[in-house]
Amino acid sequence: MIEFENVSFSYTGQEHGGLRDINLKISDGEFVLFCGRSGCGKTTITRLVNGLIPQFYQGELHGRVLVDGQEISNIPMYQIAAKVGSVFQNPRTQFFNVDTDSEIAFGIENEARPPEKLAERVEQTTEDLHIQKLRNRNIFELSGGEKQKIAFASVYAMNPHIYLLDEPSSNLDMTSIQELKEHLRLIKKQGKTVLIAEHRLYYLMELADRIVYLEKGEIKGIYTPEEFWQLSEPDREHMGLRAVDLQAVFPQKAHLPAPTPVLELRNVTLRYKKQTILHDIELSAGKGEVIGVVGHNGAGKTTFSRALCGLHKDCDGQFLWESEPIERKERLKRSYMVMQDVNYELFADSVEAECSFGIRNPDQTLVNATLEELGLTQYRERHPNTLSGGQKQRVAVAVSMICGKDLLVFDEPTSGLDFDSMTQVAGLIRRLSNMGKVIFIVTHDFEFVCRTCSRVLHFDEGEMPDDVPVTMDALPKLRELFSVSDGKER
Amino acid sequence: MSGNRHKKGLWLDPRAKLFLILMCVLSSMFAPSLAYQFVLVMLIAVLGAFFGKWKYVIKAVCFYAVICALTVWIMAEMTGTLRTMFIAFLGLFHKVYACGTLAGIVLTTTKVNEFLSAMNRVHAPKKLVIPMAVMLRYIPTIQEDWRYITDAMRMRDVSPSLAGFLTHPGMTVECIYVPLLMAASKAADDLSVASVTRGIENPNPRTCLVQIKCGISDWGVMAVAVAYLIFELCVRGGVIG
Amino acid sequence: MSNQVNSMNKGLTVKDLVTTGIFTALLFVFVLVGGVFFATNPVLTFFMPAGGGLLAGPIYLLLIAKVHKRWSLSIMGVIMGIIWFVTGMHWAFALGYLIMAIVADFVAGAGQYKSKKLNSLSYVLFSLGGTGSYIVFFADPNGWAQTMLGNGTEQSYIDTMQATANTGILIAMFAAAIITSAISAFVGCKMLKKQFEKAGITA
Repeated sequence: MIEFENVSFSYTGQEHGGLRDINLKISDGEFVLFCGRSGCGKTTITRLVNGLIPQFYQGELHGRVLVDGQEISNIPMYQIAAKVGSVFQNPRTQFFNVDTDSEIAFGIENEARPPEKLAERVEQTTEDLHIQKLRNRNIFELSGGEKQKIAFASVYAMNPHIYLLDEPSSNLDMTSIQELKEHLRLIKKQGKTVLIAEHRLYYLMELADRIVYLEKGEIKGIYTPEEFWQLSEPDREHMGLRAVDLQAVFPQKAHLPAPTPVLELRNVTLRYKKQTILHDIELSAGKGEVIGVVGHNGAGKTTFSRALCGLHKDCDGQFLWESEPIERKERLKRSYMVMQDVNYELFADSVEAECSFGIRNPDQTLVNATLEELGLTQYRERHPNTLSGGQKQRVAVAVSMICGKDLLVFDEPTSGLDFDSMTQVAGLIRRLSNMGKVIFIVTHDFEFVCRTCSRVLHFDEGEMPDDVPVTMDALPKLRELFSVSDGKER
Repeated sequence: MSGNRHKKGLWLDPRAKLFLILMCVLSSMFAPSLAYQFVLVMLIAVLGAFFGKWKYVIKAVCFYAVICALTVWIMAEMTGTLRTMFIAFLGLFHKVYACGTLAGIVLTTTKVNEFLSAMNRVHAPKKLVIPMAVMLRYIPTIQEDWRYITDAMRMRDVSPSLAGFLTHPGMTVECIYVPLLMAASKAADDLSVASVTRGIENPNPRTCLVQIKCGISDWGVMAVAVAYLIFELCVRGGVIG
Repeated sequence: MSNQVNSMNKGLTVKDLVTTGIFTALLFVFVLVGGVFFATNPVLTFFMPAGGGLLAGPIYLLLIAKVHKRWSLSIMGVIMGIIWFVTGMHWAFALGYLIMAIVADFVAGAGQYKSKKLNSLSYVLFSLGGTGSYIVFFADPNGWAQTMLGNGTEQSYIDTMQATANTGILIAMFAAAIITSAISAFVGCKMLKKQFEKAGITA
């Protein structure tokens, strides 16, 4: 049993993410989904239960949080850890070891279980979660989804009563989300209490017992999934929530006649460390086209994007720009990639400096106009690192606009974004498309693709078997590519 | 250090390996002449062969033979300051080479978790084991980060090379350090959260999934190492020869 | 966002330890990258400590700024020592870093880890750890060369060693190491102020 009694919390030196007057009881075995806009306090709720607040994050806390009748703030972290297991958002930064076996055992090693028991428990965990393939591997060779599975396994091995998950699907592809769902189903069946804070709702609708909607740190509504289903689409979007049913998501763009091609790929073959990643790619893209790129992990999406941008060297075939061959260096000048972790491409000490970074005689009017256009003017003095994820992304886009790049590649631009930010990014991409840029979007986000893309490229086993327009006619194929099932299968 | 298990060849306790390195350092220090150094490298090569690293040891021995020949030639031919330079450099080289070769074998045959298990077994304090584990885990991450950062630099027309550094020192420095240190800082937060919520603060000593134990082969190898060192010392002390 | 409530406590928290580990990894890589070119070059070998000190300043200073507690730097030194040792570096090199890191820890601690001048000085001292193996060489050039020359050390070699040129090398080595690491610390201070404090990632 988890009880929140008049809990209020505010982080030191930060306006967002606090909580006000939370009263909530969660009984054993319940599956509760917390949703709401970014900064609504859903993550804060999970931090109150696993003791990170007040023991790790600083701030002002009123009220009490009780787990099984004990006040969380009075229990040392390692004792909480035995009861409450936490899985976090970023799979890259939550593992402690280099190999998977040790990582699965990490929590139970800390509990100082005897060595024979450790091995036994690791075996059991492997069997329950069907992760035989991931045993005894180097974690650095795993995909994001696989890393997240290991993180889950490590918590599962500790066998806590309560599981907390903080946006676990942010960096996962569709298949990995399905697998995560199965794992959640398993712990629910075992009678565990599950608290999950999430933007993506559709995969949890079957599992959740209650859905708590938060706004600005307050509980604004508690729903059953049935009630939630009945919310109209405008209502739900008004609440800033993403789709609850991907079956009800449809392509929104009218299919435009194919524009005259500006970028063409002829017979392009890409290799990485002497292995062919993609071969004989034929493609043409017009001005203003927005093209989605999908495929499994390791299907070559990254190599493809890097080759487009002129970052990947080992490629054969021809790239044409306005019917003229375009060399790698030339492509590099024309293109820009907005990375999934956009922090890697922000170098300067303020938004404004970032925009003119590395440009010899920056055009100040252009900088100002671009900042204004992207709604960044009020942040111009701020350090990019202090901005939110969506804002950082916009800074990167501003940079690309100021540098006059014509070819843009977005890598998973919606990972971890709420509905509002997602529509903002969609709007941004529409604007870039109207400016006549050629845009590629590597994404797993079906909702987003339906809003922005005019076609979708599918990479599989070294080839590009599909090039599908995002239209109603092609809906079945699109659903197949994004593994949108009716949710009742499997 | 690799994360994969090595199935073939000899397996040694990481503690024994550490001991071997120590013996190797001492043997290098007390080697009475180049010949003894060479024998030491040969011994290490034999050990490497037991581990199944044939290619590696053959290369290592051949390279060393060349350097030894070169050393003899330089000692006989050169004079003056250049000679002093070479003596300093080669002196370091000879002292380090054997240990480096051994280290190459040790690093490629030891899993990080075995090493940490060994540190637990020798009761190294947690305050040392935690940063050590994190450090070993973070080195590959730096490599990953570096790839992203160089990509980002190229797209901004900043060349991630020595030439780029010399032409635009200020900018290049920012491009390298800022994202790298921001990422490190974020990783530090996330990683501490992920370890605290899995009970790392437990005051009881951790146990370890990987169990290491000192077997006959460990004692055997260590005995050989000690014997060789004693032999060298005897030679130096004039007991033998 | 992630200040710890118990950061006022004296001991190192898990977060401090994790931070120390991560920054030690960066420091190790940067010292290695800076030094490797010099270390493998017979003519420039004495400037290896200088090369090693050139790149790591910003990392070192940010580590201090994030943890500012005693023993973090010492732990870093111990780990560096162990790693240098198991990667087969000369023992005096490993020992040099270990000892100088502890000295540096106390120097920075004299200013409560908040004085930029003392922190910079602490970095310079830390970088001098790389001179360890060369000090052994200068302290006992005969012992150094003995393996190569056999027991009969030649007079000419001792003469060259005693010639002023070699004291020159010793001084040049120290001067270069101090200059490069001071530059690195200076750049580090600048970056700390310009970037990291503004970005809010120092503790």
